[in-house]
Amino acid sequence: MTGSATGKLHVYVVLAGLGLLGGLTLGRPELVAIAAPFALFVALALVFAKPPSLKASSEITRERQLEGRHVDLLLELSADRTVPRLEVLVDLPEALVAEAPNPILIRLARGERRELEIPLRCDHWGAHEVGEVVWRAQDAYGLLVYEGRAGEAHPLKVYPRGENVQRLLRPLETQAFSGNQVARNRGEGIEFADLRPFTPGDRVRRVNWRATARRGEPWVNEMHPERNADVVLFVDTFAEARRDDLGTLDLSVRAAAALAALYLREKDRVGVVSFGGVLNWLRVTSGTTQLYRIVDSLLDAEIVLSYAWKDLDVMPPRTIPPRALVIALSPLLDDRAVGALLDLRARGFDLAVVELSPFSFVSEGESEVERLAYRLWRLRREALRSKYASLGVPIVEWREGIPMEAVVEEVRAFRRHARVLRA
Amino acid sequence: MRYLALGLGGAALALLAFGLAVRWPGALGLGLAALGSEYAVLFAAEGSTLDGLTPVYAAGLLLVAELAFWSIERRVAAWSEPTALEWRLARLGVACLGAASVAALATLSSAAATGGGGVVLESFGVGAAIGSVVILALLMRRLFLR
Repeated sequence: MTGSATGKLHVYVVLAGLGLLGGLTLGRPELVAIAAPFALFVALALVFAKPPSLKASSEITRERQLEGRHVDLLLELSADRTVPRLEVLVDLPEALVAEAPNPILIRLARGERRELEIPLRCDHWGAHEVGEVVWRAQDAYGLLVYEGRAGEAHPLKVYPRGENVQRLLRPLETQAFSGNQVARNRGEGIEFADLRPFTPGDRVRRVNWRATARRGEPWVNEMHPERNADVVLFVDTFAEARRDDLGTLDLSVRAAAALAALYLREKDRVGVVSFGGVLNWLRVTSGTTQLYRIVDSLLDAEIVLSYAWKDLDVMPPRTIPPRALVIALSPLLDDRAVGALLDLRARGFDLAVVELSPFSFVSEGESEVERLAYRLWRLRREALRSKYASLGVPIVEWREGIPMEAVVEEVRAFRRHARVLRA
Repeated sequence: MRYLALGLGGAALALLAFGLAVRWPGALGLGLAALGSEYAVLFAAEGSTLDGLTPVYAAGLLLVAELAFWSIERRVAAWSEPTALEWRLARLGVACLGAASVAALATLSSAAATGGGGVVLESFGVGAAIGSVVILALLMRRLFLR
């Protein structure tokens, strides 16, 4: 706690001194009479000044919440002596917005326990700390100010809001365990794949009786088995384009959280690689616990400036398992991320790139030179997109305001197109 | 002298308005000092009789000072707590009454005093004035250096 004098105290001291000295110099008691209240005011304030001992405790109604939703902060204040004017400011990170007046001015009587309920709107995903208050108390005369901090900080995790996706991107290859993805190979399953002549060892229940009757020899149905898939979400954290309230990293995190939730619901194994100045990874696994792990890991995602060259070799082995579908979420602004994605493709991974368009965050410029530079930059990005497409990597631009569903459909369309060409 | 008093009054008004506009306590202090000076100039112009309205003037000057400093305080959501405002208004009223009482007491004491003070007594008065300012300064120092 710190204490300080207000400007008012200095002014009153000077006025009292001037009045007393002026009264004596001019021999007028009236000047002493008008200066005396100021002197008395200051003297009383200083003699009876005692710093307030404020106690604050806080709790939040939820420790986890979704972006855009609310949590309530409950604050309890008490003081061992009356504080006539107490300003209380709940120290909030930018991502949380108080929907009640903050700071608030109250009068706290001695022994009184005041409870304040402050609804907070979670504006932005992230791991935050909330509950600490900054207070400023004035004495009864308004001449002295005491400031301090009180309360304890509570962790609050704000999870990114999900994107609406109905159909997921199907991996080119599935894994050995059963799941909800229809595998491209043939085996035991419920999805019809093809017909073939009966061979010894085939089960009678798989005989297609209509085909058998038409062809005069036994034919059996072939099925696609339902298998799970390994999906790795590759989040580029080297660089981002940002304006005040939104950046490409926000879009990446929201998309990654939504995709992870959906793939895990389909019994797939999901992992995350946050590839940037700081490398974070989570190996693929399935289940609800993994969803929490992934989302918690995404909350720590941030852009860390680094000049160190990084490629896929810095990743631990088996972080991206063989035959995994890699969905890269990147603004493609950093050469290291661009190179790593090309490397992934060269290693034969099933890769799809969701390009988080930085165009809506960058203005075209005003001068002719700026506009020319902007056009050249766009052309270079077009060339980069063509490069990925020529390597068979579906690359889809995702802009702010476009639903994720459309992006997934575009990748699916690209893959259908690519398969026809291969055939 | 009356023009000087008028000029000081105008200057006080301008300084107070400036201080309120830019929220600077220094300008408010100068404005209040100018108001006090105007009062002193009026005595010089009007003679040596004691002014019976001194308690009212003292209370008024304190009221002007309190309201001016209230106006330049940091804005918070003050109206969320109406009792804080009520208490403050009550304190302001008590302070003005107290100021009037102290000023009346000082005026009556000086009216009751007989004869001139002489050099020795005036020296005591100057010493008391300086001493009170020094005591205030020491109190402030003790308060904020502990």
